[in-house]
Amino acid sequence: MFTLIIFAAPLIYSLQPLLLSRINVVSKPYDKEILKRKKILLYRQIKELEMEFDIGNLNKEDFLLRRSEIKAEVSEIITRIKKK
Amino acid sequence: MTPIAGGVALNLALGCSVLTILALLVYNRTLDHRLFLLGQRLGLAISFFVFISTFILGYQLFTSNFDIDYVARYTSYETPNIFKISALWAGQSGSLLFWLFILSIFNTITIIQNQDRHLNLMPWVIITMSVIQLFFLILTNFITNPFEPTQADFIVQNGNGLNPLLQNITMAIHPPTLYLGYVGFSVPFAFAFSALVNKDIGALWIRSIRRWTLVAWLFLSVGIILGGWWAYQELGWGGYWAWDPVENASFMPWLTATAFLHSIIVQEKKDMLRVWNMVLIILTFSLCIFGTFLTRSGVMSSVHSFTESSLGPVFLSFVFIILASSFGLMFSRMKVLKSPRKIESVSSRESGFLFNNLIFVVMCFGVFWGTLFPVITEAVNGNKISVGPPFFNQINIPIGLALLALTGIGPMLAWKGTSNDKLVQNFIFPIAFGLLTALVLIILKLTVYTVISFSLCIFVVVAISSEFIKGVRVRKNKFNESIFISLFKMIKKNRSRYGGYIVHLGIVLMFIGFTGHAFDKEKEFGIQIGQTEKVANYNFELIRMYEQERSNHYAWITDLRVTDISGNFVTNLRPEKRVYFHKNPDVNKRQPHSELDIYSTFNKDIYSIFSSVSSDNSTAFVKIMINPLVKWVWIGGYVLAFGTIIALWPRKD
Repeated sequence: MFTLIIFAAPLIYSLQPLLLSRINVVSKPYDKEILKRKKILLYRQIKELEMEFDIGNLNKEDFLLRRSEIKAEVSEIITRIKKK
Repeated sequence: MTPIAGGVALNLALGCSVLTILALLVYNRTLDHRLFLLGQRLGLAISFFVFISTFILGYQLFTSNFDIDYVARYTSYETPNIFKISALWAGQSGSLLFWLFILSIFNTITIIQNQDRHLNLMPWVIITMSVIQLFFLILTNFITNPFEPTQADFIVQNGNGLNPLLQNITMAIHPPTLYLGYVGFSVPFAFAFSALVNKDIGALWIRSIRRWTLVAWLFLSVGIILGGWWAYQELGWGGYWAWDPVENASFMPWLTATAFLHSIIVQEKKDMLRVWNMVLIILTFSLCIFGTFLTRSGVMSSVHSFTESSLGPVFLSFVFIILASSFGLMFSRMKVLKSPRKIESVSSRESGFLFNNLIFVVMCFGVFWGTLFPVITEAVNGNKISVGPPFFNQINIPIGLALLALTGIGPMLAWKGTSNDKLVQNFIFPIAFGLLTALVLIILKLTVYTVISFSLCIFVVVAISSEFIKGVRVRKNKFNESIFISLFKMIKKNRSRYGGYIVHLGIVLMFIGFTGHAFDKEKEFGIQIGQTEKVANYNFELIRMYEQERSNHYAWITDLRVTDISGNFVTNLRPEKRVYFHKNPDVNKRQPHSELDIYSTFNKDIYSIFSSVSSDNSTAFVKIMINPLVKWVWIGGYVLAFGTIIALWPRKD
């Protein structure tokens, strides 16, 4: 009996969704999720860049140039997120 | 539960895997979410049934139910309990079930972790993982079922027992660890495959697999190191790596996976190398299955010959299916995969990563070629020509040294490019220390490779240490913290970066250990009680020889007293000559085995092997090896694991 329950339980659990009426799932806006992830990654890159500069792996000119490039990219992404 | 229940559970798992694939394929067409839930739950049910059958087999092994062929073949009443459990992966059908068991754990975690995430990717992730499970379920259900009853028309009184080589605690840990690595790559592979199907090559799929890749890589690395440790302690030839085909089988996916770990950083940060990353993850997973093929096929003679079987062609076909479907899909998605960005400078970190990737792949190709050379030559001219360690060493030592250099160079390069003044500033100290070391070693008249290896080790240690020192100095001045607090917080805030550096330090320590091999000394001799033999700077006196009967073997033991050149006591070594299954009336089934004794210190190991004893029991034939710096290989392994765990530790966004 125990063995029967052990074997039947997962099958009943698996088949249960078929007894439901059709489910409509509202999926999250996927593009927005990607953009948010990109934003996080760019923020991390700025932090990393600042660290590289602080420890002396980058000179000031390169640091300012790259930081402004990443900042421009972040601004563009924030604008796109706001539009969604 | 009975063994029959184990077989039924495997049947049900097989049925569920087919239904999972069908349900999710229909879901992809209809987008009826009920089917997605059905697929998800059936995916969990497969795992559940696999768990049940694995536990049942484990229980049968533990309770010595010799009515099951597998139990009778790989255990006996005398087998210690720990090895009764490890017998689960000692034979073919059990190890395939164990593969499936680990795959099911990963499958369960992936499904539960992503219940409400990655809704677009998950259907194909579950399909891909279910197909892999289906492959192993077909094998365990129809080709090599672990629940087959014993084929004998009499009651089996006792089983064959476990191969003595496998009766070692490391061997109880090494295969599961290696399997966790092999199987772990199925998750990133499934996400990559799903990303290709869905044409969704953005940053999200990389994010979802990075930690999985690191976990699988950690297990594979630890599994390989444990394998080396087992070979060193158990096989009695004094080394830990012999370029054995099965060792190579685990090393190849490690190489491509290491390349992948570096190149996904470039994709995540710079959105480059998309095609390359796909190639690497497909190759890594295919090489994991190919590794299982090499182990199982018996096409190669190997120290792992206890795992040979006729399953080779089945595995090879599966590898071809994986490669054809994945690369076919990848080529059809080339437009989406094309990266919008390009590498701007040779002195950039991304070019450093790319260069390291190329070296890893070239090394992998060299190992692949050398491993398959006997098969290729046999196919071409009918003669099996094997290439031994000299071939692999000739190819891999220079490549390995180039990689070692890159572990120091990479961290000092900045993203997008490093200016000339910073290049000089960052490299001057590491190069100076490296050159100084080289000079000293040249004066000491060491060999070329030894000089290069030790100098590069110093170069990398100085390079990485300077990264730590500079970081701590900045934090200390900025926040007025103590050195230790600064170090701790710096690592905590940049786990993947500094975790990676610690892994690099672990690799350096391992290279120190590898280089020590150049100074190995050995001597084989016959010795009688009271006699003394000199090897290198040590004297070995045979104090006594005695015999002992233990539960699963009979042992002849030599007691060697080791003193240094000045007569100071160092240690006692007691290598043994054992005969396993000594009670078996069939003499041919008794198995001799040499159990080593090793005295290990930071600068050298004294390695003793009791080869044989003369017929009149008066002379013991002993082999002594002095192996410098071996311990650093294992210490490097610990450091590598520690660094990977730091890099793995979750962070708040």
